[in-house]
Amino acid sequence: MDRYELRRLDYSLSEDHIDVQSAYRQFFKTHCSIDVVRAAEASGFDKSLWERLCGTGASTMALPESAGGDGATLVDLTLVAEEIGRAIAPVPWIDHVCATRLLARLDALPSGSEHSGPLVSGELLACLDPRIGGAHGSRLLPSGSIADHIVIRDGDDVVRLTFDTRCSRVDNIGKLPMAWIDPATADSRTVLASGPDAAASYQRALDEWRLLTAAALVGLIEETLTIAAEFTKSRYTLGVPISTLQAISHPLANIAIIVQSGRNLVRRAAWFLDNEPEERPELAASAFVFMAEEAPAAAMTAMHVQGGLGVSVEAAGSAYLVRARGWPLAGGDPAASAKQIADIVAAREVHDGRGA
Amino acid sequence: MDFSRVSISDDDRDFRDEVRTALRACVTDEVIRRDRETGENFDRGVHTALGEQGYLADDFNAEAGGGFTALRKRIWELEVGRAHTPWFHWGTTAMVARAVEQSASPELADEVLPGVLAGRTCLCLGFTEPEGGSDVATCKTRAVRDGDEWVINGSKMYTSNAHNSHYVYLITNTDPDAPKHESLTMFLVPLDTPGIEIQGIRTVDGDRTNIVYYSDVRIADKYRIGEVNRGWRVLRESLNAEHGTFERDKSGLQNLSSMAHHAMIMAEAVDNVAAIAGVAQPDGQRLLDDDSVKYRLGRCIAQTEAALSTAGMFGRVAIAQTMREVSPVLMDILGSASTLSVDTDGAADNGGAEYLFRLSGPTGIYGGTLEVFRNMIGQALGLGRPNYSPAKT
Repeated sequence: MDRYELRRLDYSLSEDHIDVQSAYRQFFKTHCSIDVVRAAEASGFDKSLWERLCGTGASTMALPESAGGDGATLVDLTLVAEEIGRAIAPVPWIDHVCATRLLARLDALPSGSEHSGPLVSGELLACLDPRIGGAHGSRLLPSGSIADHIVIRDGDDVVRLTFDTRCSRVDNIGKLPMAWIDPATADSRTVLASGPDAAASYQRALDEWRLLTAAALVGLIEETLTIAAEFTKSRYTLGVPISTLQAISHPLANIAIIVQSGRNLVRRAAWFLDNEPEERPELAASAFVFMAEEAPAAAMTAMHVQGGLGVSVEAAGSAYLVRARGWPLAGGDPAASAKQIADIVAAREVHDGRGA
Repeated sequence: MDFSRVSISDDDRDFRDEVRTALRACVTDEVIRRDRETGENFDRGVHTALGEQGYLADDFNAEAGGGFTALRKRIWELEVGRAHTPWFHWGTTAMVARAVEQSASPELADEVLPGVLAGRTCLCLGFTEPEGGSDVATCKTRAVRDGDEWVINGSKMYTSNAHNSHYVYLITNTDPDAPKHESLTMFLVPLDTPGIEIQGIRTVDGDRTNIVYYSDVRIADKYRIGEVNRGWRVLRESLNAEHGTFERDKSGLQNLSSMAHHAMIMAEAVDNVAAIAGVAQPDGQRLLDDDSVKYRLGRCIAQTEAALSTAGMFGRVAIAQTMREVSPVLMDILGSASTLSVDTDGAADNGGAEYLFRLSGPTGIYGGTLEVFRNMIGQALGLGRPNYSPAKT
């Protein structure tokens, strides 16, 4: 790739972007306090928060107009995801929008069909298997215990599963509504697509899931930083706030750098998927690999600077830590994404004749 | 938000082609080889040639004053980078020239600026002191007034390119009893003044910098820049430029942070390793067929793209820190032959990763150490300034 190509490097948000960002920041501030988050831990899902969220159009916005949606860009969606992460909101929005967008790409959301309207609006919940590979047998899905429609790969097929009774949730570190899903026990199984095109469509869903999860982790980490910074400004040692000690301030500065790095990489990756999807297909996975590794470490640091109070289960910092670990891991070992990145870039650079 | 290719007019395309031709003519293999040997990041012939063709003046001057448009400035920067032009010190000269233009007497500006813009005159920085490190305000180099003249004594580290320069932009202490930010005065000292001794120092990346000694150096008052004891105010603007902490506009035609040039070197090294890993070796296997290589390479790419995305003071740290993390891994992937440096028989990637590793050290030091920037970020987070001075009794 020509690193010296004349392209714009403009990461700024438009007024419309800022409106989306402000609206959802305010929404979660109003409706999703840490108490709301705690109250939903037993199920991993706050149904009334979800209904309220869908009431703002958060589900509909993600779908193309042809599927009855509002045709938001992925850049727009990353702004919403960042606010979900900031609030660690117990809503399966990322799973749902990635799954319904996949259904739309596979022409499985025809207008007028019984399920389409409710899926678009979020009254029915869809989820997918966000792992790379492993398209066989029973699998642990992040929204498996609450989804009405489950979209997975099964061998070479992309299939939609439904169960008459919801699968039971297994408690997990990310406090997600996770469940083991065995395709063999589904009450209905519909093959939506097969072959290479289906695989490519599914891969796009995996990229989008990684992109939006990375965006959520950016918001999550920024909030842990804010909480930690406030704490350290009001704790004193030797007559000074501990925030002025470089052993405290420099690790917190490093978290601020991760937030800036991750956020801009997420936005650039989203812009390319929106505008030139063939050009930089490695960026979404890059944002994910970066944030999946950095977010739990950053959340650990943010908790650490709050000492014994930080590690208590009542502390907000510990709630952020477990989600920073659990949310990305729902997509399987991040190394699978790292390997995809290497394949994409090596193929491109060999093709471009670099290193010859 | 916009990352699209910039569509350019025929005129701008012609301009780009002219720049490419000019650079091809002067940045020869011999220039690159000599630059590696001397570590100077400077080539008199290149500098003069581009100055004579008017590129320095166009780069320095505002668009309203006949300089490059924002687009041409970007084209210029990218092409200079693409050609791997030894060019690091033009940024320094331009930064000091800016201070001269803004704060020096008209007489001094007239003496200095025409030569700078024509490529005849180079300027360097005398900021850091052997005992002061990154805290530029801790200045022991003294300037004492003597009639219409000043007498300077002291020493400065990291005065890179001093031996090719004509003036040094020097921080001096003119009031040792005052608080440190009210004790500084700036001068533009002609380097041919008696009493100045320049000693070369080589750094681990192969660069040459200097320590400069000032012994009873006597200069006229006209070489003072800004008011006496108000040097910090003059200096602040230069430091903001050096730190890359100014606001970016929405044209997307500016570097995101300082050290963006270093980030490009890192990106090119990563791309090269990816290409090498993707090609079959003599045994028919590709490095990439080893999953441990594939994983490490993918992770390096992700980290590099994150650093490339980071703006301002955050980016300055991210780039150097990422270079330090990524470069040893790239070397590991290439194996033992990555220990060989450029132009050595059998050097993996012709020493690209090996150079990146050595470069990552100084990259975190010059232009303000990573700790200076972490302090700045901490202050932006409202954490307060570090203060380790003894408690007042």
